[in-house]
Amino acid sequence: MSRTAKIFATVAVAGLAVSACGGNASGGADDSSSGGGTLVIGVDLPLQGASKDASEATVNAMQLYLDQTGSKAGKYKVKLKVYDDSTAAKGAWDDATCAKNAQDHVGNTEEVAVMGTYNSGCAQIIAPVLNQDPTGPMLMVSHANTNPGLTKAWDSGEPEKYFPSGKRSYARVIATDDYQGAAGAQFAAKDLSAKKCYILNDNQTYGQGVGKAFEEEAKKQGIKVLGNQAWDVKQPNYTALFTSIKSTNPDCVYLAGIFDNNGGQLVKDKVKVLGDNSKVKLIAPDGFSGYPEFDGLAQAQGAYITFAGLTATTLREDGGPGAKLLDAYKKKYGADPATSYALYGVEALQVIMQAIEKSDGTRKSITEQVFSGSGISIPADKSIVGKKLDISPKTGDVSVRDISVLQLKDKEEKFLKPWPVS
Amino acid sequence: MVSDVPSRARRMPGLAIPHRMRWPLGYTAAAVLVFLAYYYVIPNLGAGGQTFFRNWLPLTSINEALVWVICALGLNIVVGYAGLLDLGFVAFWALGGYTAGWLMSGFFHQVKIHIFGGATATVPGIHISFWLVLLIGAGFCALWGVIIGAPTLRLKSDYLALVTLGFGEIIPQVFTNGDNIGGFNLTNGSKGITPVDPIGIGSTRLGPFDLVWKYLIFVLIAAVVVFITLRLRDGRLGRAWLAIREDELAASMMGVPLMRTKLSAYAVGAVAGGLAGVAFATHVGGVLPDRFNFSISITLLAMVVLGGMGNVWGVMLGALVLAWVNSTGLPQFGSSFNEEFGTNINFPSYNFLLFGGILVLMMLFRREGILPESRTRLVLHEPSRTDMESLGADMEAPAPELDESASLKTAIAEGPVIADETGTGTGMGEKV
Repeated sequence: MSRTAKIFATVAVAGLAVSACGGNASGGADDSSSGGGTLVIGVDLPLQGASKDASEATVNAMQLYLDQTGSKAGKYKVKLKVYDDSTAAKGAWDDATCAKNAQDHVGNTEEVAVMGTYNSGCAQIIAPVLNQDPTGPMLMVSHANTNPGLTKAWDSGEPEKYFPSGKRSYARVIATDDYQGAAGAQFAAKDLSAKKCYILNDNQTYGQGVGKAFEEEAKKQGIKVLGNQAWDVKQPNYTALFTSIKSTNPDCVYLAGIFDNNGGQLVKDKVKVLGDNSKVKLIAPDGFSGYPEFDGLAQAQGAYITFAGLTATTLREDGGPGAKLLDAYKKKYGADPATSYALYGVEALQVIMQAIEKSDGTRKSITEQVFSGSGISIPADKSIVGKKLDISPKTGDVSVRDISVLQLKDKEEKFLKPWPVS
Repeated sequence: MVSDVPSRARRMPGLAIPHRMRWPLGYTAAAVLVFLAYYYVIPNLGAGGQTFFRNWLPLTSINEALVWVICALGLNIVVGYAGLLDLGFVAFWALGGYTAGWLMSGFFHQVKIHIFGGATATVPGIHISFWLVLLIGAGFCALWGVIIGAPTLRLKSDYLALVTLGFGEIIPQVFTNGDNIGGFNLTNGSKGITPVDPIGIGSTRLGPFDLVWKYLIFVLIAAVVVFITLRLRDGRLGRAWLAIREDELAASMMGVPLMRTKLSAYAVGAVAGGLAGVAFATHVGGVLPDRFNFSISITLLAMVVLGGMGNVWGVMLGALVLAWVNSTGLPQFGSSFNEEFGTNINFPSYNFLLFGGILVLMMLFRREGILPESRTRLVLHEPSRTDMESLGADMEAPAPELDESASLKTAIAEGPVIADETGTGTGMGEKV
């Protein structure tokens, strides 16, 4: 019996080994087949776990944009190479995988710039490595990193510690958390006439950043901040938390965090204890945007969501290249992108492509295009978000800082009004 | 030791290398071979060859695997030698990592301490040389090993596992939530501490692309851990660990100080965990609390069990293979498979299915691991006393094949505890 088992095991192992060999031969051949004037843009996203849909939509939208424009950036042909920075075991981005991807971006000689990452934490690992590229620094443009510290003074040593070579190499096309938190607070004070707000954060980089920004701006706007407390993402219910909050008698609750972090239960218990969202206003940042589960939640109706950018609905109404891309996307995939970040992925790609167009095709030159002279500027009629977009050559931050205020009504995120911030 | 040499020599005639020199030479040879391959051979290969190695065996993956090896070797001391099931070993990895984060970065910007550090002298923060941090991290973790070990001393098997599991959950939680401990930011919360200073050797600093040198450093750390493990195993302490593992009661009856021996197992194991943590922080270039979750402890345990509990080389093999499969092998196999057959199967998401399947098969057909410790194999393949007696065997009579195997082993086999173990043959299988 045991001998049969051994034979079986041997066969199984041998089979695996053979199939592995068969696979790698083709993988190697395919990768080395490109040449000539083709430049590769690395796309670094978490393709597994909770962010999977958002990442896939982003890749699809970018590829679609390349197809529409003939993949041309000046005299160069552009190709995407997608890297996964998540692991199945974690179901989220993984620090070691980010470190490995950083090495791969630099090691892959055809690659000239990186679009990504989705998570600010991952960018904090990758950016310093790309910055020290001996043939670079290598350009990195993110569509979704909203942590302020990556481009401006925030925590101690930021942002200089991400650029050991002394030159900047990181840019982004999205407004940072501080703008969004501030916009949320201004909206609460001016439009909702809130007087006393309670802030709950999910204790993560993003949530803490937005929460801190909301708190600071709220105080300036004359709102009394009753507390800024973390919610434990692993709790089965938050009745006790909201009961203690109820005694402080707030008229607005700000959820600084991501819906994935047990946001559904949080909202349910908020309504259960504090009452519905017309009585005690519920405001959330874009960490709660783009989740059908949240939109469909009965208790979430009436909640306000701020979004650091413009949503698909607004962009489609505005017309222009954004609407064209959205229509093509809907035609090909049957629905709008799962996240508005997909369009910002395309925006980041536009920035990289313009840098490539102006450059001589080397990494160093491409990065210099973004961080010298007047930097990158995409005119309104070309820009996918429908507005003129400038990247500051000093910091790599974006000039367009649209914050949209949305309201959940009839299980849909309805656009309420734009909230310009300076 | 003396009886060992002739028996080995008999098996390998013509090899004049003394037994004690064999592993260091073999290990060095393997390490140097890999070094030469990545230093000379691979950079000079054609584009196809380079792409192949970058896809299938990048040096980053090897370095990461070495960190796993160091950590698994530490767990091997606790689980493999002393038989104390530890489900929270990730705690030491985290503690080591944060030691590096604290002492090798600008995180504590209130102070400015530079001790041979890898940063310019004007930068605020604590910047201590990587080599010193290795020592500090090892010592810090040894201390925590004792602290965590102390409450578990009175516990056995399941209860012990649960308490270690508890500590393995507590410590990463402390790091995640430690950004406001009475107003003091100890760990920077979920943002973690990035970036960590580069490794410095003399006045040169290893940049992010000096992977070959980093590889050599990690190999060196692993070698030190192997050396410590092997020397301890043959010594008084190691034999005491084995005695506790085989039969705690009998060991204490024979005068093995249980408390001291167990605590030292935790401490020595934790040292390896701490070294791995410091090495990993420099590998990633930062330390983030997200990583330190339960699945790391389980993966480490799987490495030890699959490789061969108690056998240093088995554990090393298990760690290298599993770490590679996790980080590179499976995703790469998946993408190649999908390209070849035009499918869209997400192979990495079947990771744990594969692990689970392998574990079940291994436990059914080769419980002792890929490269088992000879003692474990002996015990596992011997029927339990009741089984033998039911077949009419006289347990008091000497079993010739057991005696021979025992003398093939080390001199420990002649110790009184072991004689008792092999003689009665209590079902070791139930404990594993």
